[in-house]
Amino acid sequence: MSALHGLLARLIGDFGATLLLGAGGILLYLTFNVLFLIWLERKVSAHAQRRLGPMEVGPHGALQTIADMLKLLSKQLVTPLATDRFTFLFAPILIFIPTICLASLVPLGGASAFAEMPNGLAVVVVLSGITVIAIFMAGWSSNNKYAVLGGMRSVAQVVAYEIPVLLSALAVVLIAQTLDLNEIVSGQHVPYALYEPVAALIFFIGITAETNRAPFDIPEAESELVGGFHTEYAGMRFALFFFAEYTNMLVLGCVGATLFLGGWKGPFADRWPFLGPVYLLLKGYVVVFLMMWARWTFPRLRFDQLMNFAWKLLIPVALVNLLVTAIVLQAVPLR
Amino acid sequence: MSLLRRILTGLRSLLVGLGITGRHMVRPVVTLQYPHERPDVSHWGGPIELVTFPETGTHDCIACNACARICPSDCFDIEGVRPAGLKKMRATKFLLDFSTCSLCGLCIDVCPTDTLKYSAHYDDAAYDRALTVNDLLAPFGQDPYLTPAKTP
Repeated sequence: MSALHGLLARLIGDFGATLLLGAGGILLYLTFNVLFLIWLERKVSAHAQRRLGPMEVGPHGALQTIADMLKLLSKQLVTPLATDRFTFLFAPILIFIPTICLASLVPLGGASAFAEMPNGLAVVVVLSGITVIAIFMAGWSSNNKYAVLGGMRSVAQVVAYEIPVLLSALAVVLIAQTLDLNEIVSGQHVPYALYEPVAALIFFIGITAETNRAPFDIPEAESELVGGFHTEYAGMRFALFFFAEYTNMLVLGCVGATLFLGGWKGPFADRWPFLGPVYLLLKGYVVVFLMMWARWTFPRLRFDQLMNFAWKLLIPVALVNLLVTAIVLQAVPLR
Repeated sequence: MSLLRRILTGLRSLLVGLGITGRHMVRPVVTLQYPHERPDVSHWGGPIELVTFPETGTHDCIACNACARICPSDCFDIEGVRPAGLKKMRATKFLLDFSTCSLCGLCIDVCPTDTLKYSAHYDDAAYDRALTVNDLLAPFGQDPYLTPAKTP
């Protein structure tokens, strides 16, 4: 890796080499991750219903997603009449960008994240809110009533659930006394989920809602809105929304793992640095698995229930939790 | 306090739900991978076929047409000859139009030699109506009673 980096650094400079390798590595891994997660989702859903799921393509259907991808790639790209063409085409691309930026912010190992930021957590919160703009762009530009409704629901939902996510992350910041994700991890001798179980639960609910996952999947509620914001998208453009959803799941799961489950920390992670990313991804995948488990267990919330749940329950509870955390920290400082 | 109770009962019900799906996740799956695994359907009453008797190694259809007469759907088309030196007739043609058969089983009940039975086939399929006519003699090949023995 470092040899490749040196070679590239001579060609395009040190910064360019880091950028290229980091972005390439992250994109490559995230692509693999999507293929894996879609397969995993189908397996989880199948086994929750005591079915087998995909079994035919590859061992235990492992190559099924690749076959699906090839099928989607070969489909015709249809752009409906009277769409806002630029917005329509740009939305599936834009939905990716904040997710990839987020992925580069998560500290992977003892060394650092790919992109270090002294105020990493603030940037994470801001970036995760951008996805909704892409969703709304897709919904608005499609010139379709279902897509518009899905897009508007998505905006309302993300605005509502951003707040409890932020508040529960703030509780962690209060304990860690820093916004730097790397320092939050290195200060985390005991997973903060044990100090802050309520905040961890709220954060989990919040990221489930932010990724538009069931039981909060009303922006794409099939039974009411056809496909919601991606109704008019076909072929690979549709696949890009899927890509973004599953990438988002893993990345936000990893952010959650960083904040509450000790990030890259684990047994022997100090001695062998390569274990750091492994631990982080394992914890991230545990969070993702929990999200899938919840999806195949709970029914979808009605829209007013969803809003009531966020505004009347999650936000007050998160605020009280933050207050209690502050008071307790004043009484018994952790360090 | 009622709000707190509602939150707690709600949370509990969510955990119960997760418990149910979680339990099912670790239980064995019930799916049968159909083309690779086939279910045991020996109790199944599939399309009518001729019985192979172990003593003779062949069927015992005497072309009496009892099945054809009792059949409510007129499925059968049977012809037979009496081979030289044999008291009973032997069927030379036994066609069953499965597209009209209702699997009522009257032919099985009426057969004087008990040479009809339900088979265990269950996934017969055809693209052409003509292909649904089953030749029940086909599995037996050349009838040993109809080829005159060269040496006694």
